[in-house]
Amino acid sequence: MIASVAFRNFKALRSARIELSPFNLVIGPNGSGKTSLIQAVLRLRTLARLPISDTFAVTNLEAAQIAFRFNPPHDGFEATLTCRDEESCDLLQLTPLAASEELIDWAVLRTRLLTARSYLLDSRAIIRPVQTGGSRELASDGSNLTACLAGLCEISPDAYAGLCAELLQLFPEYADLVLYADRGTFSLRLAGGGAPVMVPADEVSQGTLYVMALLALAHDPAPPAIICLEELDRGIHPRLLRGVRDVLYRLTHPADYGHTRSPVQVIATTHSPQLLDLFRDHPEEIVIADKHGRAATFARLSDRTDLTELLAEGGTLGDLWYSGILGGVPEAT
Amino acid sequence: MNGRSLRLALLGESQVDEAALAILVEGILGKPFNQVQPGLRARGWPSVIQILPAIARHLHFNTDADALVMLVDADDTEPHGSHHERPGYFHPRCRLCQLRAVFRRATRHLPLKHGRERMLRAVGLAVPSAEAWYLCGNDDTVGEASWVEGRVTGRAPYTRRELKARVYGTERPNLAQAVAGATLAAKRHARDPRRLEHDFPGFAALATDLRSWELKPAETDSSRSAA
Repeated sequence: MIASVAFRNFKALRSARIELSPFNLVIGPNGSGKTSLIQAVLRLRTLARLPISDTFAVTNLEAAQIAFRFNPPHDGFEATLTCRDEESCDLLQLTPLAASEELIDWAVLRTRLLTARSYLLDSRAIIRPVQTGGSRELASDGSNLTACLAGLCEISPDAYAGLCAELLQLFPEYADLVLYADRGTFSLRLAGGGAPVMVPADEVSQGTLYVMALLALAHDPAPPAIICLEELDRGIHPRLLRGVRDVLYRLTHPADYGHTRSPVQVIATTHSPQLLDLFRDHPEEIVIADKHGRAATFARLSDRTDLTELLAEGGTLGDLWYSGILGGVPEAT
Repeated sequence: MNGRSLRLALLGESQVDEAALAILVEGILGKPFNQVQPGLRARGWPSVIQILPAIARHLHFNTDADALVMLVDADDTEPHGSHHERPGYFHPRCRLCQLRAVFRRATRHLPLKHGRERMLRAVGLAVPSAEAWYLCGNDDTVGEASWVEGRVTGRAPYTRRELKARVYGTERPNLAQAVAGATLAAKRHARDPRRLEHDFPGFAALATDLRSWELKPAETDSSRSAA
């Protein structure tokens, strides 16, 4: 999907570039551009809805600019967002990267880009009953999770059964997921294992609700092409993070798990050393955001040529990050 | 232990390793054991060695565990060679030697508790990771000897990622896939561990530790009868 993003004068990203993998876990201090990366993807989605501008590039060299390149078969052009100021990016231009390339496949790429979604899940929104018949696409705060689950149950009972099985495997204290329809609204409850107790949504832990939302995305027969997840580890016990990583890998590498649908590109942020530990064998999936003064940059962990030697000295990836030797930590005061 | 089942605590770096370790331990012992404190886990090296003294103390005072069985990955560190077994020998870069030393220090001065002077221990070192054990017998290119040779020449015969791909069919196995693959291989080795012991001294050390428990006087019915 997105192969790389280059930033110029966009918020703290004054001059930064990052190549993206199918799965990307972005770590770094507050204000280092993690959220800006996600915002850039969302602005590309927003502008992709509009006709392509045929105006030539703005000559103001101070204007913020974000340039996207894509993986094959969409690697024939660059999509550039130009901003009037830091908040208003309203110009999307496509530039062929080779003289013979045409922009004919923009329509195909555009269709996929329009499905990109970003999530900052909110447990208070998730537990509220939702009206039946609403959108089956998970809202950015997860507020319509119950309706999404009900929709999945209706259109793809097998996928819903798979979701329930995985949920109960991750949380064996529960025996069943129950969706209640009452006077035009849906609410969810979890049946306690070993006792006939129904746990209403507002008594279910935040982490459990967030994992349910991730499972809803992972079991969606037609998931978004790009999923951005802020604070992926929030509310989730460190021992369950392996399960969360597994859920996301199924989205990004569907063929490895017997699925035939297109891969989803995932961009997730975290502040959890424990989650980072799970990527020791895949440093190419880690993006380190760094901040020097007010300027932020990105780097791939796999670009650290001494990473193998550092790990051989002992210490987990999370330990190394926390120590500061990998970068991606707050500046010393 | 007077003929009763052993009470063992297992400590590994992941749920997957622990599932396989339980099968391998039972296979070597030749009888079932009772697991004490299921769910004990370290967060990879060096968490294992950092937390080991506290775990040993906890098990000694707060449980009736007879022994602690540990399994760690060597990653890129020194494999456990036969010369490491010489009395008084300690290799500072061998994780198995390090775990034995830390356990010894942690338990040396603990008072009598739960009818045992101190807990026994068994340590296994998977070189470079447990997936190599799972491939043993099915993939002749995998073994500690080839890994050691690769360390000497500077050309590793395989990577941890490649081992995962060979065992699970993907470099990114989910928990269910990993547990299924690991337990299948562990059951195969439990039926006949000779090849694994031969090809992986880090496993042979674990097996030797486990079998040594049977030889301790007053630990088995047969030894009590003989006495």
